[in-house]
Amino acid sequence: MELTLCNHSSYPRIGDDAEHQLLRRTLAQWDKGERTEEAVQAAQDRMTELALAEQAAAGLDLVTDGQIRWSDPISHLAAKLSGVRINGLLRFFDTNFYFRQPVVQDKPARTAPLLLDEFKFAREKSLRPVKVVLTGPYTLARHSIEENGGAGGFDRMLEAYTAALATEVAALAAAGATVIQVEEPALLKYPDDFPRLEQSLTALAMSKASAQLALVLYFGDPVPIYDHLQTLPVDLLGLDFTYSPGLIDRVASIGTARTLALGLVDGRNTRLEDPAALARQLEKLAHGADLKRAYLSPSCGLEYLPRDRARQKLRHLTAIRNTFLGSPA
Amino acid sequence: MSRAKLQGLGIDLPLYPTTSVGSFPKPDFLLKARADFARKKISRGALEKAERQATEFWIRKQEELGVDVLVDGEMYRSDMVAYFAEYLSGFEEGGLVRSYGNRYYHKPIITGEVRWEEPITVEWWKYARGLTSKPLKGMLTGPYTVMDWSFIEYYPDRRSACLALAKEIRKEVEALIEEGAKIIQIDEPATSVRPEELPVAIEAMHVVTDGLPAYFITHICYGAFENIYPDMLDLPVDNFDLEMSNSGLDMLKLFKQRRFTKDLSLGVVDVHTHVVEGEPVVEQRLREALEVLPKEAIWVDPDCGLKTRTVDEAIAKMQAVVTAAKALRKNSDE
Repeated sequence: MELTLCNHSSYPRIGDDAEHQLLRRTLAQWDKGERTEEAVQAAQDRMTELALAEQAAAGLDLVTDGQIRWSDPISHLAAKLSGVRINGLLRFFDTNFYFRQPVVQDKPARTAPLLLDEFKFAREKSLRPVKVVLTGPYTLARHSIEENGGAGGFDRMLEAYTAALATEVAALAAAGATVIQVEEPALLKYPDDFPRLEQSLTALAMSKASAQLALVLYFGDPVPIYDHLQTLPVDLLGLDFTYSPGLIDRVASIGTARTLALGLVDGRNTRLEDPAALARQLEKLAHGADLKRAYLSPSCGLEYLPRDRARQKLRHLTAIRNTFLGSPA
Repeated sequence: MSRAKLQGLGIDLPLYPTTSVGSFPKPDFLLKARADFARKKISRGALEKAERQATEFWIRKQEELGVDVLVDGEMYRSDMVAYFAEYLSGFEEGGLVRSYGNRYYHKPIITGEVRWEEPITVEWWKYARGLTSKPLKGMLTGPYTVMDWSFIEYYPDRRSACLALAKEIRKEVEALIEEGAKIIQIDEPATSVRPEELPVAIEAMHVVTDGLPAYFITHICYGAFENIYPDMLDLPVDNFDLEMSNSGLDMLKLFKQRRFTKDLSLGVVDVHTHVVEGEPVVEQRLREALEVLPKEAIWVDPDCGLKTRTVDEAIAKMQAVVTAAKALRKNSDE
């Protein structure tokens, strides 16, 4: 099995040494009116460059911009849409990270690019191919609240988010994005909503042109809907294996119709996995599901780890791949 | 019921007692001292002097404002989990991770068996108590939150880490009680994170509080309360301190469906906005709560710790809390 090493999505935008405090410091000064928007952007640019360089140095084949500019996975996109204002803090799934909740006052609409400039910057600065990551319409809708019926109900809100992101997917594909990752962790909390997600993803898939579309799920157990996932119009399927002791057996027993991104390395805990144990799991997947090719990645974004540990986890991917390749076929 | 417990402990509070959740912003002189200490420009003794000075500042300020149950303001803490991890053995300091926006904290790593070696907060509690004659809360972070906000490398699973922490944190509670603390707040903001683990949080809280003579408060915030209510009422505490304003008092709807059976420290000002709520807004929030809860059960405070606000904003928000509570108290008397 050929293994492509990739980052999942986010990367720490801070570290413990002075160089890695640049963005925090600049934002704090900006908050007090002491720095300009341009200074904040320059700090974001610099931290993005560092994130790209660290991923390349760790040996990854496919990197992300680290989502350095994102205030959180929800409001970074929603705040750029018309019809939406941003409200108070809520916990993001079972993490101790908080997002600001969108309040939908009117149908969300895209009036300007959302991630296009960020992608272009990362691609220009990166030594490796860059994957674009965006939070999916369903997860955005599930984390929003509607005000005074402004969106016309949940389904209309989902449609509007889908339309906005489909336009963005088209723009990203036109700009040369080769892998576009749509994150829909909320589906694992509401698996009965699979038909809604399917409809939304179909719209995104129609906009992707020649780019590969990846659906990524995390922070939950995908086993109950694993069979359904195989029918979705996506090229890649990214799964978090840390929440589900049964997922490896499930994949190994019935295989997959999509290329898998295997989130086997825990992006939520500092403990480093035993490479030999993970190599055995990879072997089980490769043989059981007859996988010829897969991506190996952390289970979720790495922003939940300190920078030094995030770096270690990425380097660990190489160690795991080496152990796997060295293991008996 | 709980008011009788307070009286039994020798504490007589007015209607709608005012308090704060725990942390206040560090004044500029303390921020400078902390930066100087980090750069090894000043000694630990000099830093502690600044921390004492800042603690006194906030004790005086709370008294001036007319707050009923005081806190020491946590001038000596970095954050609510890392501080305890620093003093309990078995922890290693982790690097910075983000909590939201541009806020970060050092997330500890449990690399060995956790052990309480010596009192952690007691000296600060004693120092603050010496500055005021008003009731002063003892302030701790609970075992479930310390576990949830740490990386776990040593213990095989989350429950065993949580219960090990509970056993050790109880020793700190006992030490506070021995020095005279009668109201002790055990912060458990992570309680609502994983509803399936609520029984673990409850089991751990029993380990911490069972059989101890104090009025216990637990603070929970920013979570999906609909997933743990009403089961969370099984936490063995007297008072729930809940963030209510940030979520538009949504929890009151839950309380209408199933009666809230404990005392409630009602968060009436949002701590994550620079905007200071006006007295009418705060009073309205209190009145809405009074439609659902008996007046004897209500305490009044901000949603959460005020440390992320400026000193002026924190004072203004506390002023709003106290003014609204006093106005309501006066109306009750009439």
